[in-house]
Amino acid sequence: MDTPQLEIQALTKIYDGKQVLDIPHLVINKGTIYGVIGPNGAGKTTLLSILAILVPPTSGNILFDGVDVTELDQHALRRQITLILQNPLLFTTTVEKNIAYGLRVRGIGKQERTARVKECLRFVGLEGFEKRKTIGLSGGELQRVAIARALALNPTVLLLDEPTANVDRASVDLVEQILRDLNNSLGITIIIASHDMNQVYRLSDEVVHLIDGRLTRAPAANLLRGRVVSQNGDLFLFDTGKLRVAVLPVKPEATHVSIPPEDIIVSHNPIATSARNSFAGKISQVSDEGESVRLVVDVGEKLQVTITKRSFAEMELNVASPVYVTFKSSSVEVF
Amino acid sequence: MEYILYGILKAAELIATLDTEVFSIALFSLQISATATVCASLAGIPLGFLIETQDFWGRRGTITLFNTLMALPTVVVGLLVYSFTSRQGPLGPLQLLFTPKAMVLGQFILATPIIVALTISATHAVDPRVKLTAMTLGAGRVYTALTILAEARFALMAAVIAGFGRVIAEVGCAIMVGGNIRGYTRTMTTAIALETAKGEFGFSLALGFILLAVAFLVNIFFHYLQSRRD
Repeated sequence: MDTPQLEIQALTKIYDGKQVLDIPHLVINKGTIYGVIGPNGAGKTTLLSILAILVPPTSGNILFDGVDVTELDQHALRRQITLILQNPLLFTTTVEKNIAYGLRVRGIGKQERTARVKECLRFVGLEGFEKRKTIGLSGGELQRVAIARALALNPTVLLLDEPTANVDRASVDLVEQILRDLNNSLGITIIIASHDMNQVYRLSDEVVHLIDGRLTRAPAANLLRGRVVSQNGDLFLFDTGKLRVAVLPVKPEATHVSIPPEDIIVSHNPIATSARNSFAGKISQVSDEGESVRLVVDVGEKLQVTITKRSFAEMELNVASPVYVTFKSSSVEVF
Repeated sequence: MEYILYGILKAAELIATLDTEVFSIALFSLQISATATVCASLAGIPLGFLIETQDFWGRRGTITLFNTLMALPTVVVGLLVYSFTSRQGPLGPLQLLFTPKAMVLGQFILATPIIVALTISATHAVDPRVKLTAMTLGAGRVYTALTILAEARFALMAAVIAGFGRVIAEVGCAIMVGGNIRGYTRTMTTAIALETAKGEFGFSLALGFILLAVAFLVNIFFHYLQSRRD
């Protein structure tokens, strides 16, 4: 049974008069890996900072194990909910002293600290690194030491902001495996904020999308930014700057649309349908997705389109082929 | 030229024979300046840290003031301490004038602004993520402050050394409030001033060499500590 560990209620955060977060409700269950996807400036770091009790929300509540965090000891709570910053900083001393830092803060004795440091280093695959100076560690090693340092505190929730942003490709797999192990063997709840959609889906049990500080239903592809520019009866036009998309009635303050790749029809010629959106373009990319083929069609904006392999073969499509893409206004998600 | 050569030879002799007076003056100078520097560090480092990290009205003006006070003329400080510690002054009853305590007080006033101003810039240069990282690991205000200072330790050490360098080499304040009393308040710089006036170049040069050697050793020590970081 899912047990809530963190719960966000009517959370808002305003910086300099601008609302950067608005989350009516979100529950993070114990022992799960959550992914928060969003572009830069979406509010991911602010959300993690609020969950890590580093930044207070403008309004709303955070519950930890059902208790409002404002009623709990903030320092003690930070050891339970530990944030690893994007581009984490290691203190300019040895690896051992970095990992033992949180334990020293808690007044834990040297013998126990040494044992715990060893254990945490083993967990992240850096045995024998105790006496190494942090200056000179690679990006991957640095990230693993940062994870070990957080792990030393025995946290119940680990928050990671872009955990592999400064890590080489080989270390990305290693860091991801460590995070899975932390979750599987220690039952730590993990929240990962990233703009790397593939990574988030690879790692997470549940994924939420954050756009301009608001949670949305998962818009996996064809996410376009823009604004509503005109209204004609029950039809609205959403302008991305490069493309005008007909959408169903929406709030005028909408800033993004998303078009499911499966809902887009590709044809050689314009087709007469009830669909309100039809654009001419050229195929700029083709990729094999197993049962289907994913095309990227440049119609001013680059739209991803999924078609069957059979259609792809019958239409004799290729890169640079001129095509039309057509989709209904009701297929477009606006938020 | 001959008297300079004679002076150098005499200085070499005084140092080689470990002349009691030369070395007792050198030791006394080190004691006075080290005590003043330690006191100035204990006051100046926390003060500089607080000025940099706290928001208060007049903060920029305070920083400018301490930067200005770095160039405080030693005779002005000597005059200030003299007027406060002389018999008619507010500290007169303590009978501090022409004692080592008055010299420490004067040197403390000289070293503190340097250590405060350099601590402000050392703290300012610390990566802001240090504070955030300490907080994420459960550190309270005091522990976070100590962590920031620890990260700034090499710049702070430079601040302390700059303060020490300032007071070990000053002569104006030491001569005014110490009185250059032989065997009691005579430092290397006051002795050099006096002995040169008397024409005792050898004695002055011997102390001058020791003064240079102290500066040299302090710098070597500092570079050694910095190299350990890398």
